[in-house]
Amino acid sequence: MKVFAPAVIITALIVGPHAHSQWEKVSDKSIPRTSTGEPNLMAPAPRTTDGNPDLSGVWLPDGDPIPEGVETVEADLPLPRHMINITADLAPEEVELTPWAAELFDQRLQNRGIDSPEANCKPAGVPYLTAFVLPYKIVQTPELVIILYEQDTVFRQIFLDGREPVEDPLLRWMGYSTGEWDGDELVVDTTGLTEESWLDAMGHPHTDSLRVIERFRRRDAGHLEIETTIDDPGAYAQPITYTVTATAFADDDLLEYFCSENEKSSVHYQ
Amino acid sequence: MKNHALVPIVIGLGFSLLASSGLAHHAFSAQFDAEKPIKLIGSVTSVEWRNPHTWFYIDVEDDSGNVSNWGWELASPNLLIRRGWTRSMMKVGDVVTVEGFHARDGSNTGNVRTVTFNATGQTVFTGSNAGRRGP
Repeated sequence: MKVFAPAVIITALIVGPHAHSQWEKVSDKSIPRTSTGEPNLMAPAPRTTDGNPDLSGVWLPDGDPIPEGVETVEADLPLPRHMINITADLAPEEVELTPWAAELFDQRLQNRGIDSPEANCKPAGVPYLTAFVLPYKIVQTPELVIILYEQDTVFRQIFLDGREPVEDPLLRWMGYSTGEWDGDELVVDTTGLTEESWLDAMGHPHTDSLRVIERFRRRDAGHLEIETTIDDPGAYAQPITYTVTATAFADDDLLEYFCSENEKSSVHYQ
Repeated sequence: MKNHALVPIVIGLGFSLLASSGLAHHAFSAQFDAEKPIKLIGSVTSVEWRNPHTWFYIDVEDDSGNVSNWGWELASPNLLIRRGWTRSMMKVGDVVTVEGFHARDGSNTGNVRTVTFNATGQTVFTGSNAGRRGP
């Protein structure tokens, strides 16, 4: 598969570091400020009145250099490595796919992403969305956490009211999530995920028995970690754990994204 | 305006086998060919600031005077606007030089890497983060 070195063709750049924002720098009151008014990303994480860390805010998964061998539509755009590959931090011997999963994964790689859900205007799903290149917004209440993802303009509900996971749940892209606090970590248990979804851009597959455990940690005001465990014995011999990091996307906000609005690419897929 | 058809541009190409990457929508290699860099000059006929990809179209005239319309795919409006583009940056009638990659199916479409506004000589890179942390 071909890749290219995008930087060699740049002659000038009129797009500066202080790029326009759709939101004209609306000041996010939920994040501490420095004496000069800038978001203080290193300040202690805010807490809610019940004493738990407050995960609320707009977050953007951190980008990484594009690995060698990966082609992207938007050249030179840093991508979260776990968006591309959930096993990016693991040695090959630490990842053992079951035979059918290995065959499907290889088939998806050979197809160059043509059959990916996103390429066909279907949602990205959980946990792919938490490592995606677009921001998301967390709204935290004592008994319900809502995550609004810009990608696909989808929502996710995480119930903290003590309810049990649904038996034989209706399969869906966001799954069915319940959560509880473990100290300063919000532990989220998600099941009911349709096997139609991919775990990353490479196409790591899963079964509909997939269980995703996410541990949300707000390290400080500006930094969020999501330790994600993929527990799916039907597809992986051992659970896969990786940690996605995100930075507060302060003074910005979500836009909408409807893939079906003006999709003109798929007729050209080959 | 005259355009010397499909002018290959000199660009560094690396080769390895790893993966295709999907972004907000599709993988590059699902639609475009990294071995087919192209450079076209034309006049903008329309601009579509809509998801999942921003598109603009240019009329390109070859040496024989034949005019063809080419569609160029950019990143999503969400990505572009956070990277410094504005909706009014490109207007119908602007003459631009576009460098990018041709569609695998041979249609008059391409994926953009740079756009130069010929009137000013200014070039925008469609994917650079330009020092910005956002998408």
